[in-house]
Amino acid sequence: MIMDLLLWYENGPVGVFERESLWGYPAILTSHAIGMATVLGVAFTLCMRVMGFAKGISIQAFDKLFVVGWIGFFINLVSGILLFSGSASTYFFQWAFQLKIGAILFGGVMLKVVMNSVRANNSELTQKFFAALCMTSWLVGVITGRLMAYITAS
Amino acid sequence: MTMQDVADFFTSSIVHKWIIEQFWIFPLCETLHFIGLSFMFGSLLVIDCRVLGLAKFISMKEAMKFIPVAIIAFSVNLITGYFFMTSDPNNYIYNYGFQWKMVMIVIAGINALWFWLGEHKQLLTLADGEEAPFRAKVIALVSILVWITVIILGRMIPYTDS
Repeated sequence: MIMDLLLWYENGPVGVFERESLWGYPAILTSHAIGMATVLGVAFTLCMRVMGFAKGISIQAFDKLFVVGWIGFFINLVSGILLFSGSASTYFFQWAFQLKIGAILFGGVMLKVVMNSVRANNSELTQKFFAALCMTSWLVGVITGRLMAYITAS
Repeated sequence: MTMQDVADFFTSSIVHKWIIEQFWIFPLCETLHFIGLSFMFGSLLVIDCRVLGLAKFISMKEAMKFIPVAIIAFSVNLITGYFFMTSDPNNYIYNYGFQWKMVMIVIAGINALWFWLGEHKQLLTLADGEEAPFRAKVIALVSILVWITVIILGRMIPYTDS
């Protein structure tokens, strides 16, 4: 059932376009890199701030930067779904891909947890712990994302 | 000195041999390059968005603390980038994507120098919420656009063989 769905997506017009178009894959891959730098840039700088860097910046002031982060996330969501179409039946079973998606979801939830922790005025140690966990999760997302190019399906 | 002499110089280096023989160096450098890129772009976003007025309530003085982070991240990318080029100099040196990427990095460097020498001191005196001068905003906008172009060109290198 899952395999049928993956093959349907992979062999559909999006997958065919991604594999056969001269500029399709490079353009989507490039969008993914820009989105990544934007989302991770905002996530990393926020986590650094919560961990004690540039203490003079109000953490609430990062709310404005989150708008930029969301734009990056949206670019990556769309480009990621398109990239997935190229080899859906392979990526889905790749442990690096599974870990990447898990790390991104966890990293996204942790960003919310970090901000909630700041708003709730939890202890500094708790806030720093959540921020470190959040940053680690996004780093795992980057590392496994790169590994996908080198690791075959499990 | 021709382009080929430069390529030969890198090919004959011990680093070239090392990268070719150790399969894990290239993926490791790629990962570090992406992490460096994210830290650098994030730091520039904090500074540039503050200067542009998109995040006016970030203290300018504090935003400037991200400059060293951007420099360290750029250094990581410079070193890993050197490793990439040394791994296959004949491909990189003649590659249009790579050549234009280097040009854009030089432009980004000149823009950063302009920012540091011409605007930095004045910007430090800005109060929270105060608008930056127009010239500083132009520099910030150029910074973001040039670095996005650098990312695009970097990603296009495998597809822009000469």
